[in-house]
Amino acid sequence: MSQDVSRRSFMRGASLGVMAGYFGAAGLASTALYRQVLPPEKLDQTDIGELKGLRIKVVSETSWYDNNVFLNDVKGAGGLLVNQYTIPWSVEGVKAGYKGSNLGGFATYIEAELLDGSIKRILLDTGWNPEWMEKRFIEEGVAEKLAKKQIDYWVMSHEHIDHFFGVEAVTKYNPGQDVYVPKGWYPEGYDLLKGKAFPKANVKNAHPHTGKVTVLDSSKVNKMFPGFALLTFDVPIILRVFGEQAMVFNVKDKGLVLVTGCCHMGIITYMETVRKKIKGGEKVYAVQGGLHISPFEDWDPQYDDLIFAFNKYGVQKIGANHCTGFITVEKMIAAKLPVVKGTARTMSKRDIYLGNGDELAIA
Amino acid sequence: MTTHTVDAYADRVASPAHGEAPAYHPLDELWLEQRTRENLLSQPLRGLLNVALTFGVFMLIWYVFMDPRGILKWYTPMYGYMYIRWLLIVAIWQAYIFNFWPFRQEWMETAHPLVKGPVLVGINWALTGLLIWGGFFYLVGKFAIPYFSWPELHKLGMSDFFAREYAGLAVLMAAAIASWLAPIWPMAFENYPWHKLTQPAKGLTVLAITSLFTILIFFFFMHGHFGVLFYPWQKFAAAFPWWYGYAKTLSGNFSVGWIMCGTIAVWLVETIWERYPFRLIKTQPLRGIVGFFWVLLVALTMFFSFNLLQDLAWGPAYEGGKRLFAPDWRYLHSGELAVMMLLPALTLYFYFDNWPRKFSPEVNLAVRTTITVGGTFVFNWIYYSVSPPLLGTQPGYSHPQQFPMAPVILWIVIMMYHNWFMDGWPGKRIAKREGA
Repeated sequence: MSQDVSRRSFMRGASLGVMAGYFGAAGLASTALYRQVLPPEKLDQTDIGELKGLRIKVVSETSWYDNNVFLNDVKGAGGLLVNQYTIPWSVEGVKAGYKGSNLGGFATYIEAELLDGSIKRILLDTGWNPEWMEKRFIEEGVAEKLAKKQIDYWVMSHEHIDHFFGVEAVTKYNPGQDVYVPKGWYPEGYDLLKGKAFPKANVKNAHPHTGKVTVLDSSKVNKMFPGFALLTFDVPIILRVFGEQAMVFNVKDKGLVLVTGCCHMGIITYMETVRKKIKGGEKVYAVQGGLHISPFEDWDPQYDDLIFAFNKYGVQKIGANHCTGFITVEKMIAAKLPVVKGTARTMSKRDIYLGNGDELAIA
Repeated sequence: MTTHTVDAYADRVASPAHGEAPAYHPLDELWLEQRTRENLLSQPLRGLLNVALTFGVFMLIWYVFMDPRGILKWYTPMYGYMYIRWLLIVAIWQAYIFNFWPFRQEWMETAHPLVKGPVLVGINWALTGLLIWGGFFYLVGKFAIPYFSWPELHKLGMSDFFAREYAGLAVLMAAAIASWLAPIWPMAFENYPWHKLTQPAKGLTVLAITSLFTILIFFFFMHGHFGVLFYPWQKFAAAFPWWYGYAKTLSGNFSVGWIMCGTIAVWLVETIWERYPFRLIKTQPLRGIVGFFWVLLVALTMFFSFNLLQDLAWGPAYEGGKRLFAPDWRYLHSGELAVMMLLPALTLYFYFDNWPRKFSPEVNLAVRTTITVGGTFVFNWIYYSVSPPLLGTQPGYSHPQQFPMAPVILWIVIMMYHNWFMDGWPGKRIAKREGA
């Protein structure tokens, strides 16, 4: 009997001790011992080389023209998790649109001058509305360069409607242009590239792609030529898209220049990744492109966290546009961040950021 | 062949293990604690069948109402998520606060689960709709605080989509607090000092007091979030989020995270821990006060533990980071992990007879806790492996438009309907009274 009592007492004490110990240790480790528990940060920086200079031309940053029309399309389809290839996007009757269509698109053209003086030409993304994008590609001389096979790199930042659905505006001029896409594309993306139409979403590609498709993943820094690399992020994105890649340039005597499509991974996360993975990553000189903060002129307190933090990175030029959102840019200007102004022409609505046809030159 | 057993709660009150004297006598008499059920199937078939049944019903409801590939597509996500949250709270009100009033005990004992279930679930859905549309959208939102109302935000110039999402967020944030506080009064305080009142006076009183605390806590912990949410910043209407210095985020997700841990702590204490150890205290309100702070302590421990676990898995979050590295998402995800912990706990409690029950209370509790923690990791792995094809969500842990809490809570709600409203039928049914 005494043995029973003793065993029971022991079991009680032991079990209580284990439970108290677990919760106590967990609580203590998560607060007082936090720094000791976490492993130290490891930097694994890659030297990507240097460039002499960089010219970044905004071909189109106006992805859609009427925010309410876009959001009603989304709401009608069932929200921001719905497959983008199944949503009937509004292509007519939109007063603020381009020829009645709400669709615009995003694309950037970049010329990088290497240290030996030679030029490399890069096209980032293909926009959405093929008619609008073709007009812009012609106006900015991109169509001619595609036709003459003078574009060295065609990079797709991600699979989203406004960055990709205008693909035929590119393949029309050079269907054999090689393309780099981030890992995570859905089968529909490759099908569209090859010429399949998605009538429900009002998207087609009448000029099937015949070039090489290179899929890049996040396992390493993808060096393209001296002074230029691509970084891929495994990030889930609205409208059932996965994965985004962004550009890193290193301009001699200036520092790193980050060029993005939408930056769904977040600009601070992008800069932190660059700091850890790219030599000289502590000094980001400029960022350019969509920063995906308030693309629908919506807001979240998390975005103020981002603006508070942005100032600490010492970026000297912010060429933000597109999905950065006007609210964000207004807040950035109020926070004295160095936002580069634009000219508000060719359907870009305001001059508070770089718009269609504007250029950021770094040399 | 049927086997007579009684529910775990009734068992621990009426006939505790080892021949000890009953630990305490409840001040209140809940139907869920009084009912005696008999098993219609033996284990593990009973448990497995019922889990499969609730999962099947969950999948059907998810597909019809929530799935982005489904019929109504309410998981946009805030709009559908808002309903799920309030279904849970209204079920708690029905079972724990109103003790199934206005239905009589006789009807609760004799009505077939296939009658009782649809009636009680119908009331649950109707009350939830009335509360959200009548209470929030067209009363509070119209006459007091517009951010609680989809129509009012739209009238003020916001896009229809975000008007619905923002209002949904506000309504579900209020629900997070209510889901923590509403069950505490009947569980820890056993409705003291109103335990002698009859229904509906008792239910209305407890509902009023928990709602009052919900409102107060909402203003202190959530309202600041909505001051920042709108542009321009509503500095004159809401104080600067005071938690920013510690949390490194202005987002109210900081509070949602630890409050959800509180909600889950309440149910861990109520189910697998059988109100231990504060049930050893024999007098009210001391038992209630100790119970409240015990729940709070467990909640904060869970919250900090899950935060640390994430930092170890992905590295520390940083201010201004997005997705996996956003401080506010990490806090929210701690709440999500806590909700994932509740699923194995309730499965054990509802469907596997709160196994084990043969050892001393402390050993029983320790074994159940170990099973629950292990089950959490297993469920977490399964969830992120299969949710995209099953639920129409996207792969990845952190996504701005999806919240694992929504489907997990919906499954939990289905389990509650099944156990509270349908007696766990067809695995169990109410035992017939002798002589009846």
